[in-house]
Amino acid sequence: MADIKLPANKVQELREVCAKFNHDKGELINVLHAAQGIFGYLPAEVQEIVAEELNVSVAHVYGVVTFYSFFTMLPKGKHPISICMGTACYVRGAEKVLDEFKRHLNIKVGETTPDGDFSISCLRCVGACGLAPVVTVGEKVYGRVAPEDVKGILAEYR
Amino acid sequence: MKTIYINNNKYNFEGEPTILEVVREKAGDIIPVICHHNTLEPHGSCRICSVDVALQKDGPRKVMASCHTPASDGMHIFTDSERVVKLRKNIAELVLSDYPEDKTEAAKNKLPTEFQRLLERLGVYKTRYNAKETHTDQEKDTLHPYIKSDLSQCIRCYRCVRACDEIQGKFILNIYGRGYDNRIIKDSDSSFTDSECVSCGACVQACPTGAIYDLYESKIQPYDKIVHTVCTYCGVGCNLEVRVKDGKIMGIEAPDDAEVNAAHTCIKGRYAFEFYNHPDRLTTPLIKKNGRQVPVSWDEAYDHIANKLNKIKEQYGPDAIGGISSSRCTNEENYLMQKFMRAVVGTNNIDGCARVCHAPTAYGMQKAFGTGAATNSITDLEHTDCILVIGANPTSAHPVTGSKIKQQAMKGKTLIVIDPVKTELAEIADYHLQLRPGTNIALLNMFAYYLIKNDLLDHEFIKNRTTGFEEFKEQILKVNIDEYERITTVDKHLVEKAAEAFAKAGNAMSFHGLGVTEHYTGSRTVMLLANISMFTGNIGRKGVGVNPLRGQNNVQGAADMGVQPHQGAGYLDVNDPEIQKYYKEKYGIETIPEKEGLKIPEMFDGAINKTVKAMWIMGEDVMQTDPNTQHVRKALEGLDFLVVQELFPTETSKMADVVLPAASFFEKEGTFTNGERRIQKVNKVVEPIEGTKADGQIMVDIMNRMGYPQKGYSADVLLREIADVVPFFAGVTWENLGTNGLQWPVTKDGKDTKILHSKEFKIGKGQIHFFDFEETPELIDNRDKYPFILTTGRNLEHYNSGTMTRRTPNKDVLTEDNLWINPADAKKKGIKTGDRVRLISARGETYIKAFVTDKVKEGVLRSTFHFPEVSINNLTGDIGDIETLTPEYKVVAVDVVAGG
Repeated sequence: MADIKLPANKVQELREVCAKFNHDKGELINVLHAAQGIFGYLPAEVQEIVAEELNVSVAHVYGVVTFYSFFTMLPKGKHPISICMGTACYVRGAEKVLDEFKRHLNIKVGETTPDGDFSISCLRCVGACGLAPVVTVGEKVYGRVAPEDVKGILAEYR
Repeated sequence: MKTIYINNNKYNFEGEPTILEVVREKAGDIIPVICHHNTLEPHGSCRICSVDVALQKDGPRKVMASCHTPASDGMHIFTDSERVVKLRKNIAELVLSDYPEDKTEAAKNKLPTEFQRLLERLGVYKTRYNAKETHTDQEKDTLHPYIKSDLSQCIRCYRCVRACDEIQGKFILNIYGRGYDNRIIKDSDSSFTDSECVSCGACVQACPTGAIYDLYESKIQPYDKIVHTVCTYCGVGCNLEVRVKDGKIMGIEAPDDAEVNAAHTCIKGRYAFEFYNHPDRLTTPLIKKNGRQVPVSWDEAYDHIANKLNKIKEQYGPDAIGGISSSRCTNEENYLMQKFMRAVVGTNNIDGCARVCHAPTAYGMQKAFGTGAATNSITDLEHTDCILVIGANPTSAHPVTGSKIKQQAMKGKTLIVIDPVKTELAEIADYHLQLRPGTNIALLNMFAYYLIKNDLLDHEFIKNRTTGFEEFKEQILKVNIDEYERITTVDKHLVEKAAEAFAKAGNAMSFHGLGVTEHYTGSRTVMLLANISMFTGNIGRKGVGVNPLRGQNNVQGAADMGVQPHQGAGYLDVNDPEIQKYYKEKYGIETIPEKEGLKIPEMFDGAINKTVKAMWIMGEDVMQTDPNTQHVRKALEGLDFLVVQELFPTETSKMADVVLPAASFFEKEGTFTNGERRIQKVNKVVEPIEGTKADGQIMVDIMNRMGYPQKGYSADVLLREIADVVPFFAGVTWENLGTNGLQWPVTKDGKDTKILHSKEFKIGKGQIHFFDFEETPELIDNRDKYPFILTTGRNLEHYNSGTMTRRTPNKDVLTEDNLWINPADAKKKGIKTGDRVRLISARGETYIKAFVTDKVKEGVLRSTFHFPEVSINNLTGDIGDIETLTPEYKVVAVDVVAGG
């Protein structure tokens, strides 16, 4: 993973974020949050830059990244798909929707398709329980999704 | 005075201890613990140490973790109430839920781990909670030569993580993930080998299971005894606990209660011990017959030596004989060596390896303060506000002290580093003054200039305790500060800021190493360093002072014992008739040499000029460590007779007429004096390897053979003799040294001294000296042809010429010397990392592997000298410190050429 070359402008942006937080060790989670926003994920190189900027060890950053499920060290797809597994969505059949996504894309939760277009993750409640089961693709929210809708949703992005 | 009730027994206590600390102190080890460790900060994660606490008699009880709960007045503690006993068992069962079933008891023929002992104590061997999985499938990390991990046994107590953070300060270890999946990681989940780990072994010592262990599995090997001794690798003087079985060393740990190094050593102290029974050890005396060294008996060797020395003495006088003693040897052995040269041979031609390292410190500090030794103690780091490190790389060369400095800097204390190399400390320093090698004088003068110009002075101290200030002030205000800026290549504003930080710190202490002393103007630099401490009043109390990081384990002691050509045991002037009378009485002899003796470089010159005919070298490989190897070779070849005492065949011993096989520090008793004047006991760990003798025993034997009645080698007897001769050892006895030693001066009643010069200096008032910058002749003469400056230093993994460390698995941790070169220079010269390059000076040349790094500035190269394959001293020159002749290893004019 260490041979990934990060785009210079994004690295610069990350360093500016660290500066904005005054290189404060206590802001590590906020910085990582912003870093994931910039890069889409947190590869070792990004973690090393954060460690250097906040003057903490790489092991410490790695420990925090792996502790919180929000952070990911694998790149997400161009269109990240999230299926809500909160109680309301779950009882209204979210699992079947998820299985359908997995079947169509032939990947597991947490993985990205080989062409880099889609990735699947699960989340817990987006605050739209009235629309359960809920799926988000990127910023767009789909409500009352049934397994047979999955093909159509994917087609929008293909 | 506060009161606490422990299981209804009343005790008084003071201070602000935790419940656990009070209970341990008053009632002993009655609370089990597992995540807690005495040498680490309280953590409070496992709750095994839980106790019932009531704030008043019969008050409501609450279960609390004793390790991190402060004890308060009137508390009632119940350490084994039914519910806490039940709680502890339950916790242990939870821990066992993903712990391998077959590891709850000691392995066959092995000792139990701390965790296994805890399970036995709690009576828990099985768990009711069976997790879906254990972690036995996790791959072991066994690539590192010493440190290994098997995380299936990890119980997530965090002790290793905290040891790495709190003891070593490397922050390599952490925890990955959550819940059952969490595990210990090294850096970003790499291995001990690939991480930044410095192999100190603090995590191994801290681990209560077998999750992190060492090559020797030293904690679970059965042993016959544990011997407490002192490490021989540097001037820090770490205490070691050596486990021995059947006369063999099984492993080494650091005592938790050592004042010098609680639970801490470096890779060398803890792991590099296997040299002691290496097959290369010399095990019989050798005499050169017909050009070949052949084995002989001790008697034959002694007779031959006595004959030869007596003949040379008769024919050319005693001053045709010279001796080099060793800072690796004990005080007692150094005392005997100088006594042999002075009282038996009859010459002051006795010098030691301090000549090639800290002689300028001894000289310069004597000139400034009257005493050539560290003014303070390492523990003072806790009381200081500002640390100045000049010409020293302690995280490599004095690792335990280096870590302590780093820890303090990370706690927010100001750190100023003056060094041509971006050292580990320089990386975290508030001010790194990266000067050109050889310009210490100019830089310290800039520092002093700003102290005076900006009135950052302790006028009271200067007035009452020093002399020479006005003259200094007059001189310094005349200097051209812009010229100094150009010479040092350091921004004057940065120096100004650093000087201000130093002066305003409250307590500021300085540490210096060979980057100060091994220069043309080494002694003068020491005196200027003393100046800035005096100007700012940083002398004579906790957390201040001038503190040389002494190189070898006993370099302080060797000088104390009189291994110097101008001063006898106790630094008494050999030119003074009163002193001559004093030594005559003490040694019980009629005549004593009256002429000051030769320093090591003068002995070599004498050998070449045929005025020195014989030399005796104890434990030093001058062919590899002294500068200008060709010159040294010529000198040794010029001798009629050379005796060498050694552990291993070395480049020097190969040239000897007689080689005497010596015993290592594991095989003898005596004392070492560390860099903070602490005299510590060296205990015999194992018997000498067959055929070898302690250096001290060899000296005793030869003294008797040559007609001087010297009692047999015993530390106890010799210390009594030394205490009678050396004034500042007056109250030292083998017995009262205890386990943590005593810091000299030790008065008759046995009281030692942590801080020197608290009331007045030994010479009355502190002497302030002024010296202007002078370029070294090495550069003036050679820089046109050899435009780069080579500076030499040490790496963590090897010790000096590597005679010992290269015969241990340390050779697999660091395999070769390399040459650091700045990227801009590398580009110009067409050199890449890993290339073999040719390095040339006016004396000679060598080949070495390049490492391109911005840790050195343009025009500067840096290398180590641990491997004979490179023999960097083929390049170094004859320029030495003006006052003490200490060689200028730190500035060599060279050129570097791509392609080897």
